Amino acid sequence: MGSVTVHQLNKEFSGIKALNNVNLEIEEGEFFALLGPSGCGKTTTMRCIAGFEEPTSGTIKIGKEKVNHIPPNKRNCGMVFQSYALFPHMNVFENVAYSLNIKQLNEKNVLAKMGVYARLLNRRLGRMPKDMERKVMEILEYMELDQYADRLTSELSGGQQQRVALGRALVMEPAVLLMDEPLSNLDQKLRHSMRNTIRRIQQDLGITTIFVTHDQEEAMSMADRVAVMNNGEVMQIGRPTDLYSHPSTSFIANFVGTSNSLQVNSTVQTGMYSLLKGDGFTLKTLHQSKENGTAIIRPESIQIHHADREMNAESMNILEGEILISTYLGSIVRYEVKVANHQLTVDATYASGESILKPGTKVKLAIDPERVLVI
Amino acid sequence: MKRKRVFNGLTLVRVLIYLFFALFLILPLLSVFLVSFTGQPVNLLGSITDPAILSSTIEKFKGASLDAYQSIITSKGYFNSLVNSLKLAITVAVLVIIICVPIAYGIARTSMPFKKTISALCTIPLIVPTFISAYAFILMFGRSGWVTAIYEKLGGEGMLIDPYSMAGIVIVQVFFFFPYALWPMVAAFKVSDITLEEASLNLGAKNWFTFAFVTFPLALPGIISSALLIFTVSFSDFGTPIILAPKELNLLVVEAYREIAGFYNWGGAAILTVVMVLVAAFFFWLQTLLTKGRNYGSVSGKPKIQRLNNHSGLRRILSGYSFLIVLVPFLAMVSIVIQSFATTWGKDFLPSGYTLKHYQTIFTSSMGNIQNSLILAFGALVLSVVIATFVSYFVVRQKATKLDFVTNIPLIVPGIAFGIALIQTFNTAPLQLTGTALLLIIAYTIRRLPYMIRSTMGTMRAIKQDIEEAAINLGATPLTAAITIIGPLMLPGIAAGSLLVFITVIKETSISILIAPAEWAPMSLAIFQNILRGEYYTAAAMSVILVILVLILQAVANRVSKND
Repeated sequence: MGSVTVHQLNKEFSGIKALNNVNLEIEEGEFFALLGPSGCGKTTTMRCIAGFEEPTSGTIKIGKEKVNHIPPNKRNCGMVFQSYALFPHMNVFENVAYSLNIKQLNEKNVLAKMGVYARLLNRRLGRMPKDMERKVMEILEYMELDQYADRLTSELSGGQQQRVALGRALVMEPAVLLMDEPLSNLDQKLRHSMRNTIRRIQQDLGITTIFVTHDQEEAMSMADRVAVMNNGEVMQIGRPTDLYSHPSTSFIANFVGTSNSLQVNSTVQTGMYSLLKGDGFTLKTLHQSKENGTAIIRPESIQIHHADREMNAESMNILEGEILISTYLGSIVRYEVKVANHQLTVDATYASGESILKPGTKVKLAIDPERVLVI
Repeated sequence: MKRKRVFNGLTLVRVLIYLFFALFLILPLLSVFLVSFTGQPVNLLGSITDPAILSSTIEKFKGASLDAYQSIITSKGYFNSLVNSLKLAITVAVLVIIICVPIAYGIARTSMPFKKTISALCTIPLIVPTFISAYAFILMFGRSGWVTAIYEKLGGEGMLIDPYSMAGIVIVQVFFFFPYALWPMVAAFKVSDITLEEASLNLGAKNWFTFAFVTFPLALPGIISSALLIFTVSFSDFGTPIILAPKELNLLVVEAYREIAGFYNWGGAAILTVVMVLVAAFFFWLQTLLTKGRNYGSVSGKPKIQRLNNHSGLRRILSGYSFLIVLVPFLAMVSIVIQSFATTWGKDFLPSGYTLKHYQTIFTSSMGNIQNSLILAFGALVLSVVIATFVSYFVVRQKATKLDFVTNIPLIVPGIAFGIALIQTFNTAPLQLTGTALLLIIAYTIRRLPYMIRSTMGTMRAIKQDIEEAAINLGATPLTAAITIIGPLMLPGIAAGSLLVFITVIKETSISILIAPAEWAPMSLAIFQNILRGEYYTAAAMSVILVILVLILQAVANRVSKND
């Protein structure tokens, strides 16, 4: 097991900068997610750690050891590929046993080497040592795959294939586990249960894990810490809750969850509040503010009421508007509300029996000054 | 950005492959090129190892001149042979296209009856070595052929067509090479899509008008490309001319063969070889130029909707015509089979009696040749599998474009030219390989590698990169990953390709005749010698065995590639 340190990592592909000074400090046993839209450099970062890409500059350390010049087959990073990359000509057992066979290949004499090659090419040409066989079976049992040991991987379901890929990476007891969008090929339901499985296994084994995803929900629900990347740069690193409540840029505010961004033109300090003035609105906030920032308000931080409702404007921000669209989403109702020249997204919890406000309804929006962020 | 190359097992393999091609392909071709100037054999390898040879080589270079090149123009023999070869190839190419257009159109665009049967019969010429076809042609049209017999009964005089003539060679090549052009042309006729033709019809054009001004012009690039292909095939063909060319008819391939096998005239053979390679390369280049950016014949994507011509008269005419064309090679093969069972077959429609004696002779005295063929073909197969697998790996994964280019060079080198180059390079120390089975196997391998590599490269492309990365990630070195993961996954492509190599090696004529030593004589050489010695019946029986062998292997190959 080990920590992973990425220092000043740069990568260029034929002159185009794919990574720009990426710095990461991943602690031992941590579940760390790299989150970002496609093309942001998250996969390139992971491939640099695995050794499949050579950095243009910068250092990568696994544990205390600098690994820049160690070839990918000696880095001891277990990797789970997006496509799983299971060996189609081998059954489940052989897939998982592969790394153990390879390890033996590096240790034994020439004759034993030939034996390993033979059984890798055809299972009938030789048997693995008992202790190795037991180790593979243990992993298969742990992954609940023991009854599928003799199946070809093409005969398994998506979730089972995913577990084979994970088991295959874990059996080599890697220093770091790398997962590249491992859930993107699964359907919605399976994805949720695999999230829990992966998280449980990671906690069980205490293995340092780097998880690449473009799905913020996945990153937020699984990881100890998340690095949000965009255009080859790390935008912010933090615990999921920090990222959500204190995004450092409006990109992150929008990427991590949904948010309303309002351009602020001037700021006035009045007592305990800062007054944010923009095009057609004024907002109070309790947070530190700066000139020409952006006000960020999460949809669930806004309460929605009928326009005729009396509201106390003393401790709350009150905005008047008109509903454009209302969408019923099960546990919540999402409203798009027109306020002056802006369109705000508002999430209201929905209890059965309540009526949903119709488009065209005049409404008042109440926002707690505590929940108005400025960046 | 510099990439450091780590020296590992794979790099070593790559170096070895480059070395192989440098030694057995580039060096021989280079030597021949040099000899065409010096007029005497030069020993490049020897010049490196032995100073004495080096000084004599330098002496020879001092005497280098363009005399040989002048002799092409001045020497009547050489010039004539070039002109004749060009005439032959052009005539064959043009005739093949004319003959193929209706068949290709019929298969591609009409619902003509017996399409499947016709397609199947079209493969006959592909499985028969050309010198056997030429010999079969003699059985039909020769002085005592059965066609001649019928012709005379009908009141004709002499022979309908003299097989031992330019016309004879042209006819054999036309009827046995047309399938090479047919399938690309079928693909070409499928290019024109229905909407264009309907638009033409909609504008009031008649069917024939649409064909002449829409369908045909759209297919034209594909047709021209096929013609160029046929040109190269005909130009390089050795089997037909060596059997049929009369003494007074000079052809490049025959002339070159005579210079080397008859007179040991290295300079003359070299210059003829250079000319052959240049002409073949030029037409090959023209053809690739024409097909660049088009993908005729590639099986990909969704089939376009094709409107099939249902005109009943046209269908019948096309079908009947196609049968007539494929009948010729079919009858030629039947003639060989009958001959192989005949006691004597004089100038008559059928032999006077039947016997198994000839097969008996073969199985008692010529088993060695069959064995040799199988051993040599197997050797070439093993060598091709190893080289093709690694070459496709390097080309697909490591983008080794130079290697791709080098392995395709054999496509433009006629067999006889390559054979001459090899003999010349390896007939003295330090690498005296002429007359060994090894050189024969290497020659077969290099000649057939481009086809093998095409097959393996296809499967290689289908294997995703991350499967290999997964193996490396799990601790395997690139070489181990190649052996344990990529290799087994490529097996279907390798199997199909290697069977193809096996078949073509068994059929191979020019290399066998030129460089096979007596103790390693394969079937093709034995048949050739039998024909030269006038032992026609055993030659026929041996030919039948060869064709049956090829047929069986072809069936296996089809089975393998279908399972894929």
